[in-house]
Amino acid sequence: MQAVKVRLAIAYAGLGAVALGIAVATQEFPPLRDWAPFAAVAFLTVYYAVEVNDHLTASPAAMIFLATAVAFGAGHAALGAAAISAVTPVTKSDIAERRVALSVINWGQTVVAAVLAGFVLEPFFPAGAWSQRDFPLVAVGAMLASMVYHFVNFGLVTMAVRIVYRKREVRPWSRMGSILRSTIVMGFVGGLLGATYHLVPVALPFIFALFGVGYLAFSSLSQLREAQEATLRGFIKALEAKDLYTRGHTERVAYFSQLIAERMNYRGTRLERVRWAALIHDVGKLAVPRDLIRKRGRLEDGEYQQLQVHAHVVEDLLAEVEFLRPMVEIASGHHSRFDGGGYGGTGHAHGNPPSQEARILAVADAFDAMTSTRSYRVALSQEFAFQELRANAGTQFDPEVVEALVQSVVETGERYGSPNLGSEEAARLIAEGKGRQ
Amino acid sequence: MTRFRHLEPVLWALTMLGIAFIGVGQSDSSLVAVSIAGVLIAGAALITVPASSGNRFSLALAAATAVPLLIGPIFDFGGAIGAVAVGFLSGWVVLQLFGSDEQTATADSDFLRQSFGAFLFAAFYVALEGAAGMWIGPAGANLVAAVAAALVWFGFETGAWAMTTYDRVSRRYLLRLAVEDWPVAFSLFAVGALFAYVLPELGWWAPVVALLPYSFAHIAFYRSHLARVTYSQTIRSLARIPEVAGLSPDGHSDRTADLSVAVATELGLNPHEVRMVEYAARLHDIGRITLNELNIIKVGFTDDDIARWGSEIISEAPFLTEVAALVRQQHDPYRRPGERKDPDLPIPSKIIKAASAFDHATSELGFSTLEALEVLHRGAAYDFDPDVVEGIRHIVMLGEAQS
Repeated sequence: MQAVKVRLAIAYAGLGAVALGIAVATQEFPPLRDWAPFAAVAFLTVYYAVEVNDHLTASPAAMIFLATAVAFGAGHAALGAAAISAVTPVTKSDIAERRVALSVINWGQTVVAAVLAGFVLEPFFPAGAWSQRDFPLVAVGAMLASMVYHFVNFGLVTMAVRIVYRKREVRPWSRMGSILRSTIVMGFVGGLLGATYHLVPVALPFIFALFGVGYLAFSSLSQLREAQEATLRGFIKALEAKDLYTRGHTERVAYFSQLIAERMNYRGTRLERVRWAALIHDVGKLAVPRDLIRKRGRLEDGEYQQLQVHAHVVEDLLAEVEFLRPMVEIASGHHSRFDGGGYGGTGHAHGNPPSQEARILAVADAFDAMTSTRSYRVALSQEFAFQELRANAGTQFDPEVVEALVQSVVETGERYGSPNLGSEEAARLIAEGKGRQ
Repeated sequence: MTRFRHLEPVLWALTMLGIAFIGVGQSDSSLVAVSIAGVLIAGAALITVPASSGNRFSLALAAATAVPLLIGPIFDFGGAIGAVAVGFLSGWVVLQLFGSDEQTATADSDFLRQSFGAFLFAAFYVALEGAAGMWIGPAGANLVAAVAAALVWFGFETGAWAMTTYDRVSRRYLLRLAVEDWPVAFSLFAVGALFAYVLPELGWWAPVVALLPYSFAHIAFYRSHLARVTYSQTIRSLARIPEVAGLSPDGHSDRTADLSVAVATELGLNPHEVRMVEYAARLHDIGRITLNELNIIKVGFTDDDIARWGSEIISEAPFLTEVAALVRQQHDPYRRPGERKDPDLPIPSKIIKAASAFDHATSELGFSTLEALEVLHRGAAYDFDPDVVEGIRHIVMLGEAQS
């Protein structure tokens, strides 16, 4: 794979060099005092890239390339933007992980895209001095150029990934809508900023300063989010570790829920929500006396009630965290049956059927419960678990969700549970030391 | 004081009205220009952005920055303060009539502070512009004057906020916290100046050009605020798990955290350390979650076991290792017989030890405040650091005097 990467890097670098050559041959380099500040800002933006927004998928660097192209104006746009994209190929993590070939590939595709975008912009520039009446035309041109930039970039990335990793489906096309939207927004903003530079050069430091402060806030935001997730995860792990039999249960249920949800076309926030609900779905048991959780054999009715009450107390507590409220709702609904009934859950309490998210969690939970060893029986086989889920589909479980789980688990090629234990009775006997596997 | 609660805003409103009349009378600008500027400020005053200290800044800061820079061909002080007075007064009236309860609750002090800051800005701007104009010529003078006047305004805003926000924590600490708000204040001043610079050239495009980069920053501040709230809510909920499970007295972690934070600010800890104190105090009894394990019920446990279990649980969260260390040491005496003070024992741990003991005495043993303080004083030889005990005494007596 390394050889392929190196060859690809050479090819992309060559493409970039050719594009740069064409720009040099046909255009003039912009004045250095214009070029240098833009280059510095673009470099910093790429180097300290932070995840800004789930909805704006494209990198904000593209916006700066466009702003520079517009700011340099007629006769300079393509070369100016290319010269800036040429100095900004590396990110902090590239250096940390010594990804040389990847950086070179990135350099090539960014330069090619920037040169093409610059040439697309040329016909939209006003002939003489700029005025505010030229703004709409320049903005339209910048939006077009932004689209060209992104599609060229996207095409080259797709090609590179296909060649290196030999994967056919690189990115799901369903995300095209949001990419297109952010492309247009970035083009519009970039174009406006560039045009503003022509009329009021002194405004630019203010604009960059505002973006800089916003960037700082966003990077502290992503740190906080990371801290939030790590803290909850850490606590759940630590508390779970105290119970030998359910160790790793929540992590696995989160994983199965994610598999199912992805197969059912969940994306972004919705997918995150299911994963989080899975992570917290068992926190309720923390408040339950251990002897009840670890009891061998089935629970009696009174004990069962006690379990529900305790589980609800902790769920209410977590629901005080506004961010967790929708997740708690899913988590508390996962004991409800598909056809109504079952214990716990707002779904049951209000007589409503459980939400689809809760149904996903229910299947993931049941699958892991069957394929892992519990205090009263050893793990069952994967095939048996599938059979059981299918047998109860339509009553306890949502058939669509069950099929999604079966298909996605089979597709991963992973196997859970014991190799061939196909009966609940046998599993129980083994656990009690009366049978043999 | 409470009798005059409604008098203050009325006096303020009358003052604003007076300044508006005098300002507009002295102004060279047209009444229309001053009114437009006033409406701009009034509208902006209704949009607020939360900062990290808990203070809320309003967009009026941006608008009131832009107005002095824009009004009049040569600087028109009367027009500027007239517009500021009209703007804040009408913004306040709108808020009183249509604002939510949450907004009107702090509106009086917020508007008083902001309008005074805006006058300060205008005054400093006109004075500095004249002075700077003689040194560096008119071209750079307005920029220099605007930056300096903005610094004055920021200083006033943070200082006034720290002085008027009373929350059982020391003023000095609030001031330190308020200075951490600089990114928000900076972006408001910057967008105001930006708008003033681009308006003459860009016309109707000016608001778009100014608000696009600002809205990016605004969203970032707003979401950071939400994330901060969520994070502390999460810690609080996790800390309450042993309480709802009946393993630890109800409300103990909240009360200990409140007292610990107040003492920490009193002892001059910085904002980061205070945050660590808060988290550690909330989570100091999380180890009690282990208490319903069968073998522990049989064998028994010590306070040190709880500290150890708690610290083990907390250290699973990678961002809380510092807190885990503090919780681990929460029962260590600050001094042992025949030795000097233990220099390695962190102040936060000592604070939590004393605050937790104080709450235990008042809430579970039914002691009065004085009796509980007596418990701390008696333990000051080895268990409780005298500095911390003094801090608690101060905070508690202050609370008694207030109620």
